[in-house]
Formats: sequence, structure tokens, C-alpha cells
Amino acid sequence: MYYSIQHITAFRYSEPISESVMEVRMQPRSEGAQRCLSFQFRISPKAGLTSYRDYLGNSIHHFDIPGRHQKLAIVADSIVEVRPGLVVPERLPDDAWQQLDGEARTSETLDYLLASALAAPTDLLYDLAGDLDIRRRDDPLTVLRAITEAMYHTFEYAPDATEVDSPIDVALRTRQGVCQDYSHIMIALIRQLGIPARYVSGYLYHRTGNSADRSARDATHAWVEAWLPQLGWVGFDPTNNLICGERHIRVAVGRDYADVPPTRGVFKGSADTELTVAVKVAQTDDLPILDDIQPETYTSGAMTSSQEQSQQQ
Amino acid sequence: MTAAPLLPSPFSDYTCDRACYDEMFNRDAEPRAHYQKLYERLGDLSPDELLSRQQTADLSFLHQGITFTVYGNEEGAERIFPFDLIPRVISSAEWKTIERGLTQRIIALNLFLDDIYHEGKILADRVVPYDLIYSCRHFRREMRGVKVPHGIYVSICGTDLVHLNDGQYVVLEDNLRVPSGVSYMLANRQVMKRVFPRLIADYGVRPIDHYGRALLGVLESLAPPQHHHPTMALLTPGVYNSAYYEHMFLARLMGIEMVEGRDLLVHDNVVYMRTTSGLRRVDVIYRRVDDDFLDPLTFRADSRLGVPGLFNAYRAGNIVLANAIGTGVADDKAVYYYVPDIIRYYLNEEPILANVETFLLSDPVQRQHVLQHIDKMAIKAVGESGGYGMLIGTHSTAEERAKFADLIQANPRNYIAQPILALSKAPCFIDGQIESRHIDLRPYILYDGQAVTIAPGGLTRVALRRGSLVVNSSQGGGSKDTWVLYD
Repeated sequence: MYYSIQHITAFRYSEPISESVMEVRMQPRSEGAQRCLSFQFRISPKAGLTSYRDYLGNSIHHFDIPGRHQKLAIVADSIVEVRPGLVVPERLPDDAWQQLDGEARTSETLDYLLASALAAPTDLLYDLAGDLDIRRRDDPLTVLRAITEAMYHTFEYAPDATEVDSPIDVALRTRQGVCQDYSHIMIALIRQLGIPARYVSGYLYHRTGNSADRSARDATHAWVEAWLPQLGWVGFDPTNNLICGERHIRVAVGRDYADVPPTRGVFKGSADTELTVAVKVAQTDDLPILDDIQPETYTSGAMTSSQEQSQQQ
Repeated sequence: MTAAPLLPSPFSDYTCDRACYDEMFNRDAEPRAHYQKLYERLGDLSPDELLSRQQTADLSFLHQGITFTVYGNEEGAERIFPFDLIPRVISSAEWKTIERGLTQRIIALNLFLDDIYHEGKILADRVVPYDLIYSCRHFRREMRGVKVPHGIYVSICGTDLVHLNDGQYVVLEDNLRVPSGVSYMLANRQVMKRVFPRLIADYGVRPIDHYGRALLGVLESLAPPQHHHPTMALLTPGVYNSAYYEHMFLARLMGIEMVEGRDLLVHDNVVYMRTTSGLRRVDVIYRRVDDDFLDPLTFRADSRLGVPGLFNAYRAGNIVLANAIGTGVADDKAVYYYVPDIIRYYLNEEPILANVETFLLSDPVQRQHVLQHIDKMAIKAVGESGGYGMLIGTHSTAEERAKFADLIQANPRNYIAQPILALSKAPCFIDGQIESRHIDLRPYILYDGQAVTIAPGGLTRVALRRGSLVVNSSQGGGSKDTWVLYD
């Protein structure tokens, strides 16, 4: 399956600003069943672009715009191939909990067991764990499937209930939120069980016509990966009650949202920022024509950066 | 505590405290060989003469504006760092051991940092536990896989040593982030040369005034090789920092610019300094700003002290920072517990300088023991320095102990405990007479990946309050000159 994705981010500032410095995490990953075949990045106003890969394998692009500007636009176009991946079994063997304990604490996966700032347990989280009867039973995979489903039924999808920097308690109190809240809460829940968990930012391809997907179409998306013995990292989408497969396009992974925001920036000046994000994910069975596209080129247009990012839906 | 026989003036009121090592006098209250001349010279001086020299010294500090700022009180008061007239003397043999031990330690700690930010062999081999590193507040994941010049993370280090009753020097803590105090070491010597010119000339004291040159040399050696005349700058958090005086002093000493974050700018991943004649590229920054505040894009977003984009320029190798980012993981006080093992692991040698016995409070058995004996322990927060976040059990109220017990229970990983050490004592000139006070020693170590340079001596800090064990300048400490003798 091939996808072409366009991700447009536009910032408008109430006053002219200068010296904006911005980091962008928008290039889909190439690993496992997914390949990023092409990635094109355009910034306006014009800026020199630098990129690197961090220790998690995420591609980060960054640039700065020294002069005064009142608008900034970023257009990221990518073409991604996703093949059928790992077939997730119905359940894991009975000794899977012991295997998990033996391996998870004595390797780098330990980093995903420790609480991270945005997915740290709170009293409300413990209450939820009690309400949903979340504890070790059966095998880890069965428990993860159950938590994914319970999250889906317990929380109402409500785009205006939380902000990009809301702590999990806001969603826990109202039982409403977006994919970012679902993911942080589920991460905190499963780390309590001793299962390493990480945050994935990316896109979900929504089928045309009637879709059971609850997360917003044409938006960025986020979900959870849990580390399991024998299987490695397996994706769970609590917002849509799915085990992740060919429709989930992975961009960046981290301990929580703070490690993977699509954009993060700092500028000089005192201005209110208005942020607009537009995402298009289209699917074809054949490889789209690549003639016009050279990977990692960038052209110019008109605009700058701001304090934070766009909330993932 | 038994009082030794009375000594002749001006030591008539001096008490040799048997509970700890006295730097000047041996068990029989006789001056040690390397203190003999000093003892005689002091004996020649009347209390009035000593007082007049102390006043000369104090005035000299005041005129030089050698001050520091104390946090935690309303005024953020700037104070003169109290100076004690009587130097601390270290024999050549003692110094050799200290020098070998510190050299071994800084090499091992650099190998450790390089390892945990790359392969993590010491973790995979289970010598140091993963959770200790990953739970450390100063562990910078952003540094994983980042190459630093010559693989050197800590090129500027200040290690606190204490001299115990058996004559052994042990390491109390490593300061691998932005150790301060070296300007006092240098200033103390300048003042002593004025106050006791003949004594210091005749005593065979090893000089320390090459420190500034050596520091500049280390910074230069870290610069990219294609830059023959690298531009260097000292980055200060600004006038409100407790060590602002020192930042000015060192920048002037080395003849490099002192800048604040707002004086720097990153453009196209290169760091520039704003000057009156336009932007000028910077190659090496001696940064006196903590990791957290260096770059609001990567670290604390609310920092106004840093430079947006600095980290990305750094990771690309376009700017050198000394010390590197992320060194605080190796001076975390719980990681300190493992330093002897770290030395054995990388160097296959036994540690030359021992650690102080330390209890890890994340371990339930050790925690239980400490909580039962909290009145006899020193409790320290693992990521703090400067004497902040600390409890001295013997000098605490029941309320303070209860507060620390709660803090430990709530976050055991954040604290360690050590038995209360009998720091050595040295004669100090206090209120017109010579009395003994507790002291420690902070030598300053430089490392360029090839050679380790240690200014002979270091900063001897003095707990000026009678009976106090806290030598930190922020907690009412002072300092004195430190003389290391030639063979």
C-alpha cells in the first residue's frame, strides 16, 4: 500500500517577530514494514534546512529565520509504502509475564517503563486503573487488547476538551479527550503493569465512505506502542480501538508527546500565535509518480515559528 | 574530645581535637614537618601583627570586588568570600597520591560518560544498573550518539576531598558540570604573596598561576582542528549568578569574551556572537550555564539564559561546549556510589582515592538502616550541589529529620546518606586568635584527552562557624590559601 501525505503548518503572528528557530518532526520513519520513499520539505520564508536522525531513529529537520516576519508556513510532502507487517497472535504463552520481567528491566526498554513527564501516574490514573480493573492476568497481549478496548469505551472523543499541553488529569476528570490524551493515559496505565510503552506520532489513513474511525480525518494522529517478548514493539490505537497495521503511518516515537511534537520553536518578540494545520492522506495501490519530486528538497514562500506545536488529533 | 597540652602563643588557646585529623599538629601536639616553618613564623608574630595582616588581606579582597551571591535569603546578598590568613600546607608525598587518584578518576569518569551516551556496555554488563542512569535527572537522552571532541565530556572538574582521621584523603563528591571556586584559589594566592611575601618565597610552594593558561589551552585543544585561531567565549548566566565575579575573572584571565545568552545567535546551525562590528563566529564556549538553561528549544523552554538552536549546532559539531552537555549524570550522588566500580571496569585498576561510605536510599535495606540512624547521618539530594538540599543529622532538629524522612520515603532515588565525617581541622585566625576549624579541599582538574593538569593544591574551604562541618561558601564557609610543597 502506498500513501501520499501532505502536512501543512501555518503560523500567523499578531506582531512581527524575528530570530525564530524551529525543529520539525514530520518525516515518516523507514523501518519494519514501512518505507518513506520520498520526503519534500518547503519553508516560507526561505530558510536553510538541516536535518539529522536522533537516537530513537526519528528524523528531525530544523531551520532558523533571523529577519522580521509575521507568517511562517511549512509544507511536508511524503510518499510512504506500508506493507503488511507482523501478524499479532491472539495471545502470548503463559510464561510471557516472566519473560517480560526478565528482559524489560535489563535493557534500554527500561527507559519506557519509567514515568515520563506527560505520562506520569496521578491519583486519578490509579482510580481509573481500579475502575477498569487493570492488573496482571492472562498474558500481556490479552491485557493490552482489553485496555485498548476499555480506553475506547471509557473516553469520549472530544477535540475541544483538552489543550496540547494538558496534563492527563484534565482528560481523566472529564473522560474526554483526543488521541494524545488517550495515548498518554494508556501509556501510564501499561507502564504500571511493567510493560514498556512509548508514544507514536503519525497519520491514520481513513478509508473512504463510512468509517468506524473516531479520530479526526485529515489530521495528525497518535497512538501507543508496547514492548512484548518475542514480538518487540506492537502498536495499539486506543482512540479507534485498533491494533495498528497498514493504515497507521509512523513518523516519530518517544517516551511521550514532548519527545515528538511535529513542530517546536522559539522566537524573539511578543506576539500571539495563530496556528493552522492541514493534513491530507491519500492512498494508491501503485507507486505514485515520483518524477517531479526530489527527496529532501525545499523551496521558499513567506513566514516563522512559535512557542509550541500543533495538537495531535 | 581531649585537650592537648597548651601550646605557646599565639597557639595558647588552640585545641587539638582528637576526633579528627589536625593538619598542623600530630597526635603529640607537635607541628608536622611540612608545617614546622609556618608554625615558627606564626610564633614570631604578635596577635596585633596577625590582625593587621588579616586586615590587609580583607581590604585587598574588597578592592578586587571578590564576591559571591547567597541564594535562599530575601536580599540575594552579595558578600565578600571570607578569607583566612593561615595557609593550609600539603606535603609533596600527600599531593602525589592525590594527583594520581584524581587523574585516574577523571579518566574513568570520561570513559563512563562516553560509554553511557553510546554503547552502554557498563549497563549491559550490569556493573551500573540501567534504572540508575535512566532515572537520573541529569541524564540527557539528546546526547545519545552525539560525538564530542576527542570523546572528552569533562575537561574542567573540581573534586571535593576530605582528609580523615587516619590521614587518608577520600573523595566526597565530584563536580563535573560547572565547578566553581577556582578564582578564589588564584586570588587567595595573590593576596598571600602580598601578606606573607618572604615566607611564601622561602617555603618551596609550588606555583598555581599557570592555571589560566592551562584552561585556555584545554579550550583551544577542543576546537575543530581546521580553526587555527579559534574564537572562544565564556557564557555566563549573568549578574544574578552566584559565581558572576568568577566568570568575569576567568574571561579576563584568559583574554576571551564574556557573553550572556542574548549576546549569541544561531544561524544556519552556526553560533555567532553579536559584536559592535557585526556577527562573529564562535568556535568554543566555556559555558557556566547549566544544561537545563542552555537552549530553550531543546531543554527548559522557559529559559531566558540560553541560546535557541545551540544544541543542534553542538550536536552537528559546529560549536564546542566545555564541559559537554550531560556530564551531570556522572556526578549524581547515587552514581558516585559506583565510581570505584567504574574505575575498575574501565581501567582495570583499584581506585587510588577511596569514596566515602554511601547508602543508596532506593535500596530498601539501606533505607531502613538510614532512617533508623538518621540523627547520625548526612542526607544529600543526589542532583544538588553547593550544600543545598542537605541534612546533617547531628546538627538537625527533630522536625528537620522528620521532613527529610518524608522526602526520602516519597522519592528514595533522589537521596543518598553518608555517615557524618570527621573533616580534618586546620588552624585559622579567628577574632584575634588562632583556633581550629574544619576544612576540605577542592582541587581543579583539567583534561584535554591527552594530559591531565591539576593546579597543585586547590581551594581549601573552611567551616568558619565553630563546630560546623559545612564548608560551602553559600552556607557560611570561607577559604584559605593551599600550599603544595616541592619535594
